[in-house]
Amino acid sequence: MTDKGEHLTTDGGVPAENETTQPLGLPRWVSALLPIVLLVLVLGVFAFTSPLAGVQSGAPLPDVTVTHATLPSDDTVVLHVTNNGPESVTISQVLVDEAYWNFRVDGAGGDQTLAPMESAQIVVPYHWNPGWDLEVALVLSDGSTFHNTIVAPSQSPGFSLSLLGTLAVIGLFVGVIPVALGMLWFPYIKTMSDRWLHAVLLFAAGVLSFLAFDAGFEAFELAERVPGAYKGNLLVVFGIFGALLLVQAISAWREGRVAAGDSRASSGLWIAYLVAVGIGLHNLAEGLAIGSSFALGRVSLGAFLVIGFMLHNVTEGPAVVAPVARGKRPSLKHFAALGVIAGAPVILGGWIGSLAYSPTIGAFFLAIGVGAILQVNWEIARMVRDAGGRVASATNLLAFLFGLGVMYVTDLFVAL
Amino acid sequence: MPSIDYDSAADVIERLEQRLIESLTGETSVSRRTVLGSLGVAGSAAVGLGSTRASVVPGHNDEDGHGNFGTVGEYQDLDFDPHEFLTAFNTGDSGQDNVPQQIYEVDGRTIREFELTAVDTTITIAPGVEFQAWAYNGQVPGPTIRAVEGDLLRIKFTNLGRHAHTIHPHLKNLNPRMDGIPQNGPGVLDTGESFTYEWIAQPTGTHFYHCHSLPLKEHIHRGLYGTIIVDPDPERVRENPRDYVNYPGPITDDFRTQLVEEARSRNHEYAENDAVNEMVMIMNSFDTNFDGENEVYAANTRAFGYGVGETDGNGNWTAGETKRPIQIDKNELQRVYLANATEFDLINSFHTHSQFFDYYDHGTTLTPTRKTVDTIMQTQAQRGILEIDYSDHEPGLYMFHAHQSEFAELGWMSFFKVI
Repeated sequence: MTDKGEHLTTDGGVPAENETTQPLGLPRWVSALLPIVLLVLVLGVFAFTSPLAGVQSGAPLPDVTVTHATLPSDDTVVLHVTNNGPESVTISQVLVDEAYWNFRVDGAGGDQTLAPMESAQIVVPYHWNPGWDLEVALVLSDGSTFHNTIVAPSQSPGFSLSLLGTLAVIGLFVGVIPVALGMLWFPYIKTMSDRWLHAVLLFAAGVLSFLAFDAGFEAFELAERVPGAYKGNLLVVFGIFGALLLVQAISAWREGRVAAGDSRASSGLWIAYLVAVGIGLHNLAEGLAIGSSFALGRVSLGAFLVIGFMLHNVTEGPAVVAPVARGKRPSLKHFAALGVIAGAPVILGGWIGSLAYSPTIGAFFLAIGVGAILQVNWEIARMVRDAGGRVASATNLLAFLFGLGVMYVTDLFVAL
Repeated sequence: MPSIDYDSAADVIERLEQRLIESLTGETSVSRRTVLGSLGVAGSAAVGLGSTRASVVPGHNDEDGHGNFGTVGEYQDLDFDPHEFLTAFNTGDSGQDNVPQQIYEVDGRTIREFELTAVDTTITIAPGVEFQAWAYNGQVPGPTIRAVEGDLLRIKFTNLGRHAHTIHPHLKNLNPRMDGIPQNGPGVLDTGESFTYEWIAQPTGTHFYHCHSLPLKEHIHRGLYGTIIVDPDPERVRENPRDYVNYPGPITDDFRTQLVEEARSRNHEYAENDAVNEMVMIMNSFDTNFDGENEVYAANTRAFGYGVGETDGNGNWTAGETKRPIQIDKNELQRVYLANATEFDLINSFHTHSQFFDYYDHGTTLTPTRKTVDTIMQTQAQRGILEIDYSDHEPGLYMFHAHQSEFAELGWMSFFKVI
């Protein structure tokens, strides 16, 4: 480009004012709307004339998913079902362990028919045995069946204030307290040389990377139980990229502020907050897992598990505070805020998971956590580089590996 | 979460208003306390306290907490009535409207002529559950054909189904061309083709007919089967009593008379037969999801068709419109012509509660092959006659069902209501 005229936009295009006049002298908005109007017309013609009627053959197969089952009392089984198929389905009968059984359908508008994408609860009065697997099957009007095995049934706690209290206490122990304890390493981190500080930052990046894989695998695993109509795997991909790009956009906006001379924006505190948000999102997903385990009656939160979570999460503390180790120490207010942002979502996630559990929500939250963590890792690497360090030095690589290793070992204590 | 739930509050208020109006228009018995209490209920519903699922869905509170097995709902498809099927015998001079038939004599032999047509149809096998069936004259099981030993059965068969079909009779058939198999006679009949089968009604007993096209498993399982009942001829029994007993000893006059009496009781053309309540039951099953296992078992196609409509599990029951027990008179002998058309399972069975019966395997003998039993089993195509006597039982509900618990809970569970 020889002509660096101000009319050129950054992508090399030409501003619209200089464009040749619109065809037939129409206003610009007409040419913007025209394709949309035509599309609507074509769709309308297609819908009303059904030109493909002759090509239709057979009917689409019904597809119903039992996303999960809850057992609110020892003589009730509730199946949460979603119609994934393109056609309505009617749940005509329900089999429990190969026997026709009483049931009613709640939440499908008073009948037993589910419209596409519609969800409902099937309430079966059945005196189940704790620990004895229960095989349930939905029999649709065309005779097709959809099976679900409730493995080792045990009672779901249902909603109560005491449950919320319990989950808050659990969240406090597995989220807030370990992160806060980890942050107490701050004075020590502050005294470290650049070389070791960068190693600690890379250690934090290792911790986060492990969490990203951990949550990512779990998200895809959970996505298999997401009703097909919601395209579980793609929902996870969307969640990861969505969170990654959203946080990156915030970060880019911050850089703009730095370039404009905003000193606050250039401090390590920004990154600390980003790290806290990333870890917070991860802990939200962790809380969801705990809460939903409660909701599904599938939890044995022994002391060992809590200890595992605490060891696991204590490493998240230094990750949060390492970015502010240089320069002026932020006020204690900020430390409190960082701790809450990183740790408290366990409680929130626990509540959401126990009250409104669904694999769709679970997978999506996990994916968001992964995206946020990936962006934070990117940010940490740039922070090291901006401080004059080399990201891929031997010390840093080993520190990263150490971070992964510590998380792996502590993760062995956590089996939910 | 106590949140404002305007919908349920509106519901409650509407119901209370209705109750108020009813009580005011009827006897003026509404007290100030009732109104105040009602307002309190409405208020609590508004904040979600009084609104539980149970109150939204009435009529489920009286059920036993353990729930009950059985299909939910009534049959909407009334084309087929299993209660009518029980006693729908087609003899040539009387029978079902959908089975064209006539009876005439040629050279002293009685000819019973029937028109059977194979069609593709949809039947209802459990409330709300449909099955794409292949059926003789549109019904599963197919029409029950009844003749007297030695008669000629002339079956004008037309295939209007999409697949090729035949009719193969389980009779003593002297002409191999009439066997209804792909390898002989007319072979399979393609869509639109017809053939007239001629079979001699022999031996006496309750027999089976079915399509023998391949794949056999599918053609039977889709519903192409029925029974042929061959009544004994008392005169022939008097002359050849040994043909009707599995007994090598001397035939006394008394024994001969007893056999003739049994034959007269079995033969629909004799008055003695009117004193017996005769029923046809075909044990069948349906695989609705093509996995080679049955989702529905029944006597005569409909899961729990002879069950009770509703029960609270505490000894109380009500008959449904379409699901109801078979009502029988305790003073009549009950004779069940039983056949097994179950596909995919090796055997099926018949068990009576609080009762023992005499069983005539294949119905070819006039003395029981098993005396005083409460359970018998049959392989596919096996059949027999059960004679059950409730005369010394108290009136009430008596269960009978397959004693494979799985079959029973999947629909083959029935009741006699003895009055």
